[in-house]
Amino acid sequence: MKVSLKWLQKYSDAPLPDATTIADAYTFHAFEIEESKGDLMDVKVLPNRAADCLSHRGLAKELSAILDIPFKDDPLRAPLPEFSKTDALIVTIEDPKKCSRYMGALVKGVKVGPSPAWLIEALEAVGQRSINNIVDATNYVMLNIGQPLHAFDAKKLVQKDGTYAINVRGAKEGEKITTLGGEEFTLHPNVLLITDKNADAAIGIAGVKGGKAAEVTTETTDLILESANFDGTSVRRATQALKLFTDASVRFQNRPSPELVAYGMRDVLALITEIAGGEVVSIVDEYPTPTAPQSAVSVSLAKVNGLLGSNFSREEVENVFKRLALPYMVVNDTFTVTPPFERTDLIIPEDLVEEVGRIIGYDKIPATELSPIAGTPDQARFHGIERMKDQLVEQGFTEVSTQSFASKGDITLSNPLDKKMPALRTSLTENLQEALTQAKYHAPLVLAPNEKPKLFEVGTVFPKEGEYLELRMTERVPEWGDKADVVDNLSVAKLEDYGKDYAPVYYELGAYKPFSVYPFIVRDIALWAEGAEQSEASIEKIIRENASGLLVRLDQFDRFEKEGRVSYAFRLVFESMERTLTDEEVNSLMAQVSEALTKAGFEVR
Amino acid sequence: MTKGRLHPISIAIREMADIFGHMGFGIAYGPELEDDWHNFTALNVPEDHPARDMQDTFWIKGEPGKVLRTHATSVTMRKLEEMAKTGATEMRMINPGKVFRNEATDMTHEAQFYQLDGFAVGPTGTVTLAHLKGTFDRFYREYFGPNTKVRFRPSFFGFTEPSVEIDVWFEAPGKKGQWLETAGAGMLHPNVIKNAGLDPEKVQGFAFGGGLERLLMVKYGIPDVRLFHSGDIRFNYALDEKPV
Repeated sequence: MKVSLKWLQKYSDAPLPDATTIADAYTFHAFEIEESKGDLMDVKVLPNRAADCLSHRGLAKELSAILDIPFKDDPLRAPLPEFSKTDALIVTIEDPKKCSRYMGALVKGVKVGPSPAWLIEALEAVGQRSINNIVDATNYVMLNIGQPLHAFDAKKLVQKDGTYAINVRGAKEGEKITTLGGEEFTLHPNVLLITDKNADAAIGIAGVKGGKAAEVTTETTDLILESANFDGTSVRRATQALKLFTDASVRFQNRPSPELVAYGMRDVLALITEIAGGEVVSIVDEYPTPTAPQSAVSVSLAKVNGLLGSNFSREEVENVFKRLALPYMVVNDTFTVTPPFERTDLIIPEDLVEEVGRIIGYDKIPATELSPIAGTPDQARFHGIERMKDQLVEQGFTEVSTQSFASKGDITLSNPLDKKMPALRTSLTENLQEALTQAKYHAPLVLAPNEKPKLFEVGTVFPKEGEYLELRMTERVPEWGDKADVVDNLSVAKLEDYGKDYAPVYYELGAYKPFSVYPFIVRDIALWAEGAEQSEASIEKIIRENASGLLVRLDQFDRFEKEGRVSYAFRLVFESMERTLTDEEVNSLMAQVSEALTKAGFEVR
Repeated sequence: MTKGRLHPISIAIREMADIFGHMGFGIAYGPELEDDWHNFTALNVPEDHPARDMQDTFWIKGEPGKVLRTHATSVTMRKLEEMAKTGATEMRMINPGKVFRNEATDMTHEAQFYQLDGFAVGPTGTVTLAHLKGTFDRFYREYFGPNTKVRFRPSFFGFTEPSVEIDVWFEAPGKKGQWLETAGAGMLHPNVIKNAGLDPEKVQGFAFGGGLERLLMVKYGIPDVRLFHSGDIRFNYALDEKPV
């Protein structure tokens, strides 16, 4: 939710603190801040608070509680006017489960035109584009109190016997609608539509987007205004099926209270008649089963402290409910809160505990160590697996981890990320062989010349018989006897017994040293040394000094003596972090090395 | 014979398991191909609830109701059910394991990664949010070093109430300290305890979960999360190891 600090200021007489203080207030007591830039702040409203806080009013209210500053002119506490109804507009709802409330208003004689400067400024401050005074008014009220609203051009609907008729119904199979903006959608029957009943024509996708057929334009004089409550699941399914995500759909998905509908209607009528004129002819409120007031929730001081591990006093807890302006009572250290209609998130005692924790601040919660637990923690199976790994590492094997997705398998994903890898692996073989091929190629970089890579992986595999934990090696372990295979099913192995008295080897790791994405070049050099004074160390020193920084690994791999002389062979590996090396370049480095060795009295062969 | 190398994740989990082991935590395992109940519904994340959008899920073809687990809290659920069966009132477990999220991969995102999830439950009043703080305070001090600090921020997860994000103050050698978002956590929601067959009037506890690779990336300066599950042995050798 993008908010404007100037807009939030409307709810407080005292000047709000600077943006950093406000951002910190939200971050540590309510919501993360995605972005804060000048007057704009993008607040990541959590799903449980989206019913009331996807609005300036909701976020200003939070801020007033967190900073303990008075909140003024709460639009949701101001009384509602009497809405008067005539026959000019009727509304029917076919399935009240999908639309619990629909308020419609017929307004005649408006003058569509540009919005006043303050309104344009307010919308632009939160990244919205001004369209005209009518559309802007609906958007403003939604951003202010959270109720999505829509305006239809009444004259684009069919009037029968002086009456306009709105019907809320499911789409017919294959029914089409063109939305504002001109995109055409073919609908599935579970998508809910707003229709012009007299023409049986779709004029909007309920809770998602209005239709082109009844668009408000500069020619519009009469409006049908909609303030309604559509079921979250229904709206959610429609937006997912149509891939159409709007400010309205996001709000309905989070199930705002149907009570909010009347406040939305009150405010949008007031704003439209103020900035576009017109006369309210009729207001219809179709509300088949009015929502019962929120049930009271009780929590004891002992429960608050027993869950938080805190030592808050009755006064401290009471003060939280006061700051949040939640109606409450205290009897014998038990708080009973009657949540206002918009706080649909306050249902169980734990919800109140969270309010206390976050408003007082989690920094006031002590850090307490758990008391010792009876018995020894059960890590036997883990230690059994780790013992297998330690054995393999002892035998020169290196552990790799590979992807669980495969090109073929018994179990496939209905929504794979990579279409070429739609299945789950049934064995580790394929990945391990691939890793081995790579490892053989990279071996000179990490292994001594006389070593060859041996790999293993422990990972879950998914054959049709059911998943299990597989251990697989690239070759047999001779020390494990003739019967030992290259694969083991660790889900059936008795690893608990194997691990129960075993302590795995612990390692300290150093900082990561990046390796190059470019190919390396290997060169060998063999030479004769005359006597003991020409040690291996001195040869290595000469090589390193002359092979440049591109030498990334140097191994001695051969040594023999003949007729009083010693023969040495070394392997040099060259690599650059920035580019692919050329043979010529490495040849010249090798020539440099040879020359230096010769100069030092060695005979390079 | 020259020894081979363990994968850095194995090394990390050993260290973490040891630290949690000293605080009484065992290690629990569960399936990676999970049912909807243990991954979502039992955890108080109902179908068609926007909370499901918080985790992009891989679904299984021809098996509606089956998912690649999006977190290892599914294992927590299974262990709680086990407690209900055996009549236990106290348990502490960490569940390290691979989890899956259907999101585009880049240097900091992988569709498959490891998570260290876990929980502690006990008779009412014995395992509190303050204990969660104490547990992580100690864990991070032992894992990252004595200069770390822990802070909580409000959050939302279906399976916990209250819910928090756990940030840790970490000073990498030679670098300026910074706050890192490391895990989500909170007090197990009474619905979750009820769904497991336990009595929320009698037991309570905390649950937590966070990405493992991220901790290693920060601790060792590993630049790209995709290195972890590439099968490339150069990755094992890019970190010098010393047995302790």
